Amino acid sequence: METYLLLAIAILLPVFCAGLCFVFKGKTSRSVIVVTAALILATNAAMLVSKLLAAGGKLTLGLESPIIDVNLIVELLDLALLIYIIYIGFSLRKPLISTLAVLQLIPVVLFEMFGSVKEPASAFVIDYLSLVMILLISIIGPIIMVYAIGYMHEHEEHLHLKKSKQPRFFIIIFIFLGAMNGLVITNNLMWMYFFWEVTTLCSFLLISHDKTEEAIKNGVRALWINMLGGVAFAVGIIMIYNATGTIAINELVSMKPAAAFAGLLPIGLGLLCFAGFTKSAQFPFQSWLLGAMVAPTPVSGLLHSSTMVKAGVYLVVRFAPAFAGTILGTIVAVVGGFTFLAGSALAVSQRNAKRVLAYSTIANLGLIICCAGIGTNVALGAAILLIIFHAVSKGLLFLCVGTIEHGIGSRDIEDMQGLMKKMPFTTVITVLGMVSMLLPPFGVLITKWLAIEAAVHMPLVLLFIIMGSAFTVFFWAKWIGIILTMSYKTKYPREKLRASIKVSLTILIVIVMAASILIVPLFNTFVAPQLAASGLGDANTLTTSTSGLWLSNGGSTFMGGFASIGFFIILFAVVMTIPFYLIRTKPERIKPPYMGGEHVRDDIRGIEFIGPGDKRESVVVHNYYFKNILGEENLTLWVNLAAAAIILVMFGVVI
Amino acid sequence: MSLLNNILIVIVTLIAAPIVGGILSGLDRKITARMQNRMGPPVLQPFYDFFKLFGKERITVNQTQMVYVLGYLLFAATSLVMLVLKQDLLMLVFVLTFSNLSLVIGAMSVRSPYSKIGAQREIIQMLAYEPVLLLMTVGIYLLTKSFMIESIFVYDQPLLFKLPLVFLAFLYVLTIKLRKSPFDFSTSHHGHQELVKGLTTEFSGPQLAIIEMTHWIDLVLLLGMVSLFFAQPLWVGILIALAAYFLELVIDNISARVTWRWMIKVTWLIGIGAALTNIVWLYARMK
Repeated sequence: METYLLLAIAILLPVFCAGLCFVFKGKTSRSVIVVTAALILATNAAMLVSKLLAAGGKLTLGLESPIIDVNLIVELLDLALLIYIIYIGFSLRKPLISTLAVLQLIPVVLFEMFGSVKEPASAFVIDYLSLVMILLISIIGPIIMVYAIGYMHEHEEHLHLKKSKQPRFFIIIFIFLGAMNGLVITNNLMWMYFFWEVTTLCSFLLISHDKTEEAIKNGVRALWINMLGGVAFAVGIIMIYNATGTIAINELVSMKPAAAFAGLLPIGLGLLCFAGFTKSAQFPFQSWLLGAMVAPTPVSGLLHSSTMVKAGVYLVVRFAPAFAGTILGTIVAVVGGFTFLAGSALAVSQRNAKRVLAYSTIANLGLIICCAGIGTNVALGAAILLIIFHAVSKGLLFLCVGTIEHGIGSRDIEDMQGLMKKMPFTTVITVLGMVSMLLPPFGVLITKWLAIEAAVHMPLVLLFIIMGSAFTVFFWAKWIGIILTMSYKTKYPREKLRASIKVSLTILIVIVMAASILIVPLFNTFVAPQLAASGLGDANTLTTSTSGLWLSNGGSTFMGGFASIGFFIILFAVVMTIPFYLIRTKPERIKPPYMGGEHVRDDIRGIEFIGPGDKRESVVVHNYYFKNILGEENLTLWVNLAAAAIILVMFGVVI
Repeated sequence: MSLLNNILIVIVTLIAAPIVGGILSGLDRKITARMQNRMGPPVLQPFYDFFKLFGKERITVNQTQMVYVLGYLLFAATSLVMLVLKQDLLMLVFVLTFSNLSLVIGAMSVRSPYSKIGAQREIIQMLAYEPVLLLMTVGIYLLTKSFMIESIFVYDQPLLFKLPLVFLAFLYVLTIKLRKSPFDFSTSHHGHQELVKGLTTEFSGPQLAIIEMTHWIDLVLLLGMVSLFFAQPLWVGILIALAAYFLELVIDNISARVTWRWMIKVTWLIGIGAALTNIVWLYARMK
């Protein structure tokens, strides 16, 4: 019974808080609601962890004695939702949206109302994968909301709004979090579809929150692309039900692919993957996620880290055992790998910080999907680990960029030179966040290493990952170099930030560091049992030692591995020298950089110098962006065509 | 192998590597000079330079430069330790990248156009050679069924016989990694290129000394990786590595600097192409 309560809190508490936000519109009361909800949700997630560990890794819950017919309620809400979306389509004069909603409404009604669908015996199944997602949603999500308290205040000041729209903003985010929790807990594919559509609607409402022309345009784009995925999802469910006679996720996943992979099942699974591609913004559906950054920063932080895009990869990773080792799996891996390469390459050409982050998100989601498609033990382990590490790091980075944008009034990377002088606190946290995305011994790199080790037998996918990983290093290194550009200062100013922003950034950076340092217990507690339960029978497995993660052949011989703790010690030693040099360096030992001429003023170093002919020359330094090779104008069209072709091939082979 | 034994190996390596690397680069200068009909400095000249630099006044452009230099040194040393302890080759490549990035970010941390452009070029070089290094590790995996360097030593025949194209690709990349002509455009040994001294323009005194020492460690590490291609018996591998180094010197002296565009095109086409061809044929034979 207690478990029911925990689940109810995870799904319904956010919805309840949304109601509270609707009733109490004051700023203080809203802050109290958000902070309280954050604490309760985090505690709730922690209690679910202990519950699940005590139950041995699987909690299965049915609805044996329902006082009310929950199934019917979900069905009715589903209909209401689709009708509301049709209404949105009409009111915005976007026939495409209404059409896509009708295309979902018809099969859903036919299926639910007139077919006799066998409902799954257990309505909720929680395993370690769900648990990882619940933890991310219930911890990262609320932290971003706490950040939003301070951020939205400044945001509305910038916009000079007469009437605050913040209640609406927080209501939608609360519903969003509740829907995400529902999506990862439920075992009923129809319910998952319902929650899926709720997240689609919420993201539309959030992206178009500012109600500018651009915001509405991008919101509409997000809506129709995700509705396309919704259509695929609905049709996919019906095909899968026709082929197997069940919509229970746990039964579908545990079917042995070799025996049952025939008839309508492959195409049904292919359609589910397609839905996952749209939601996770895989090429050629990436444009909605890029457009989503017109929304206030906390929305981007939320969409990119723990919610929305992670729903897509969750779906693919969840069903990975069902198509592991089949041709469908191989092509899913190619789709993901291609997105990883294309996203990383396009990120190189971007100067807009949020766009770089967005492309990096798309690329990382591609890598997750690629790993799910490869479908071995090691690959699946990499996918789950990357979901965790990417969520925490990317959530943090978006909030950092939002803070920087409010601080310096620009999101252009080139404007971030000398950031240390203005915002030392944010700079340090941002750099740590970026370092955690690409360097050893942090988790994201470890998953990249695992991905390469897993892709060894697929030359094409391997090439995608290797080239993509080279581009990744390129664009992060350029950005880190810009941020860390600094000239000598005797004293750094104390940065003034709102409490909610400072607290949320601090908590997130602690989580980022902790996740990477504690990778061994993290893996042993959440990932290893999930892999064991997924029943993928290949010889290579991941094991751990006290110092790091190792790859072994049936547990006997090590095939690769890495003592990450040792690296942290070295890294820590290097970082510890920073305060030493900050204090020890004497002002008289600091010299301006060489310019090929005399400096105009000695106190402003490296800004202007006297060039040949006594002319004053100002020093301009900026990064390479390769706009004419890797720019969006050149690449996007071809990349989209190629990606669309790969997806067509996918459907071609499974039909 | 006991822990004590390992610690001993690590200590010996960390002391010997800079000495060997320094002597090798001394020989480099001597041989290069002879190729150019000069006498050349004594073989121990790099060490004299090192100590002279170390004794210089501690001038810096900003307070953090030395931190990046230390990161460069420590992570290069770490990857060398990974090599002698026969650890994961793929991770070694990543750590080597980290070490290089530390230097790049150090060079970018000052507002100097020369050093910034040098740093950008260095990243472009990394972009060019990293895929080849990663493909090399994959090729080795396909043979030995393991990423551990240890497995190369128990594999029944030298890798060179099965991975000739990968070996050639690696030799090609070696020129870029050693920043030798025709790929010496991020920094060069001659202080008169268009970027002054490029990447290292704004480092001086002890900083520059440590960078020099790290170059020596890098040199030993890279030649060690060359010798992996002929690990039984290892002395043949070491001879091959020395021959490869001599080949690099010859190339350095007979070629002129190219543009980075040319480099990236050719490296990806020929380097990746060759390595991938080799891998695909291994893959086909396994089937």
